[in-house]
Amino acid sequence: MSEHVLVLISAAPGATLRAADREALGAARAFAEGRGLAVACAVIGHDVQAVATEAAERGADRVLVADAAELVTFNGDRFIPLAVAAIAATEARVVIVPRGPDLLELVPRLAARLDGASVMGVVELRGDAQDVSVVATAFGGAAHAVYRFNAPGPRILALAPAVAEAPERVAGRAVANEPIAPSEVVPRVEVVTPAAPLEGPRLEDARVVVSGGRGLGAADRYSMIVSLAKALGGMPGASRAIVDDAWATPAQQVGLTGKIVVPDIYFAIGISGASQHMAGCSNARCIVAVNTDPQAPIFRYADYGIVADCLEVLPELIRLAGDPGA
Amino acid sequence: MHVLVCAKRVLDPDGVNGYALWGRLKVDESGRSFDTGGTVPRIINAYDEQALEAALRLRDAGVDCRITALTVGGEDAGEILKRCVAMGADRAIHVFDAEAQTDGFRVARIVAALVGELADVDLVLCGRQGSDYDQGAMPGALAEWLGASLVTMASGVAAEPGTDGAVRVTRAVPNGEEMVRAQLPAVVSVSNELGQPRYPSSRGMLAARRTPPERREATEFVEAGETATVELVQLIVPDVQGQCEVIEGEDVRTKAAGLMARLRERGLLNV
Ligand SMILES: Cc1cc2nc3c(=O)[nH]c(=O)nc-3n(C[C@H](O)[C@H](O)[C@H](O)COP(=O)(O)OP(=O)(O)OC[C@H]3O[C@@H](n4cnc5c(N)ncnc54)[C@H](O)[C@@H]3O)c2cc1C
Ligand SMILES: Nc1ncnc2c1ncn2[C@@H]1O[C@H](COP(=O)(O)O)[C@@H](O)[C@H]1O
Repeated sequence: MSEHVLVLISAAPGATLRAADREALGAARAFAEGRGLAVACAVIGHDVQAVATEAAERGADRVLVADAAELVTFNGDRFIPLAVAAIAATEARVVIVPRGPDLLELVPRLAARLDGASVMGVVELRGDAQDVSVVATAFGGAAHAVYRFNAPGPRILALAPAVAEAPERVAGRAVANEPIAPSEVVPRVEVVTPAAPLEGPRLEDARVVVSGGRGLGAADRYSMIVSLAKALGGMPGASRAIVDDAWATPAQQVGLTGKIVVPDIYFAIGISGASQHMAGCSNARCIVAVNTDPQAPIFRYADYGIVADCLEVLPELIRLAGDPGA
Repeated sequence: MHVLVCAKRVLDPDGVNGYALWGRLKVDESGRSFDTGGTVPRIINAYDEQALEAALRLRDAGVDCRITALTVGGEDAGEILKRCVAMGADRAIHVFDAEAQTDGFRVARIVAALVGELADVDLVLCGRQGSDYDQGAMPGALAEWLGASLVTMASGVAAEPGTDGAVRVTRAVPNGEEMVRAQLPAVVSVSNELGQPRYPSSRGMLAARRTPPERREATEFVEAGETATVELVQLIVPDVQGQCEVIEGEDVRTKAAGLMARLRERGLLNV
């Protein structure tokens, strides 16, 4: 029986594969290739057939599915036994977890339960399945760290954004779902008041993101960021510095500990370009920086830069955006 | 309620950023730490200061709690405990361990054993992640090995009305905030959405002088020669290649127009 690299996906009801899931399948395929490994994918959630189907079409050799009504939202107490069962069924030594909101719970708990090890923010896998080592981001991406493992159990690896390409989708490539047996657990943690459902578009999907930072100078000027975003048909984002100061809301934070965005254009306005901020936007197709300091590190990441006071530049950009002929 | 707050001593991320920003971040001869000439201070991980703040707010809200601050680390790691006591922790424990900096699983094993010894810990508060290696491994591993509840990304912790066997935790989630109920014992990791931690009071600073950390040895809790579960082999500073076109122009208006023209040329704008 050939050994597997396992991709572990927690899917929302009726969802399709997210970009992060596709990247994880791509990374698994790249690692499996040449090492005599096959790719397995475990999908945990409720109403997840579309995800299971697409996983097979994107190259998973085995697809394991845990589908139950109580899995409609992530709950670590419920998910971990199912992930354990999937790892046991595939004898996986290397488990790849796509980035997502539940990593801080899922990844280290799973590693600890199986006497394995875990690393977050992986950008590269080295070695083979028995002796894998990884390169991961550290200090928000200012550095990379190479890690080796000494643990009997599996290596649970969470990927940094954009480290692998999505495998091509071959319509009609199908494998039979293998059901993962449900496990009886009474969760120790229960949601009392769920978050209000998100309405409208998500920052992560925006084609244009206009983000403001401390260079705006005062809270009320964030409205100019909102205006420019609106004029360009995009969405407003923010650095953590101004989220901490409540000029913008936490949902708008871009970066390592905020949202990861991949727009066609990312405007960084009055943002210095700290590694933790860039971790959330460096994969944009085009980065535009507006900063008074010509030495600001953001210009090392930017494709286009304007060295000027953003309070003067913003009204001009808003005007030009509203008037395509100008 | 006995609340244990876990605090890690980290290289000040702003200091590291400062070096990185100027392209001067270098790795030293060991290959596993930065060569910053000792100019970047080691400080309490900011999320851990917020974890302590969460504990103090719980006490301010009238919950009868004892707060113990704990760090696992080398000789100087105990320094951050002074700040914890000055902020309001009742007791401080420094588990001396030269190796503790990067392997969250080792730290979790040590803390789990210590919690077993203390026997009366109801709630462990941690930071969401170390701002050094950005792993966030320790709280999850600890909860698992204690068989405790785990709640990550907390922005607030409160008593659960009507029972002393649970806590109510507000979490920062992608859509905003949710509220969960976690049975005790629980491990809760705190995120920056919690808000500003308080400054130490002068009374607190006096208390810190009178309350030196109790010192324990890691070898009391794990076997002496135990290897790291996750071992840091090498640090690398990646190269960032700048290729920015700075838009020139007489005034701001021309610069802005130049920028928009280029974006439109490249087909990146559809307005
Ligand atoms: C563990 C950890 C996680 C973090 N996570 C994140 C994260 O997810 N997202 C994030 O953004 N940060 C994060 N940070 C914080 C990050 O390190 C920086 O502190 C933050 O990004 C700085 O925000 P800023 O660029 O708005 O502010 P500053 O660094 O203060 O930069 C302001 C910039 O504005 C420029 N400026 C000033 N006046 C003007 C003007 N009039 N016009 C134009 N420009 C002007 C200045 O030259 C400067 O470059 C994290 C930090 C840590 C330690
Ligand atoms: N050496 C340590 N001593 C005490 N607490 C720690 C230590 N390392 C990690 N922690 C706790 O675990 C959290 C996550 O750290 P980490 O797993 O290193 O990213 C930190 O915010 C601390 O609360």
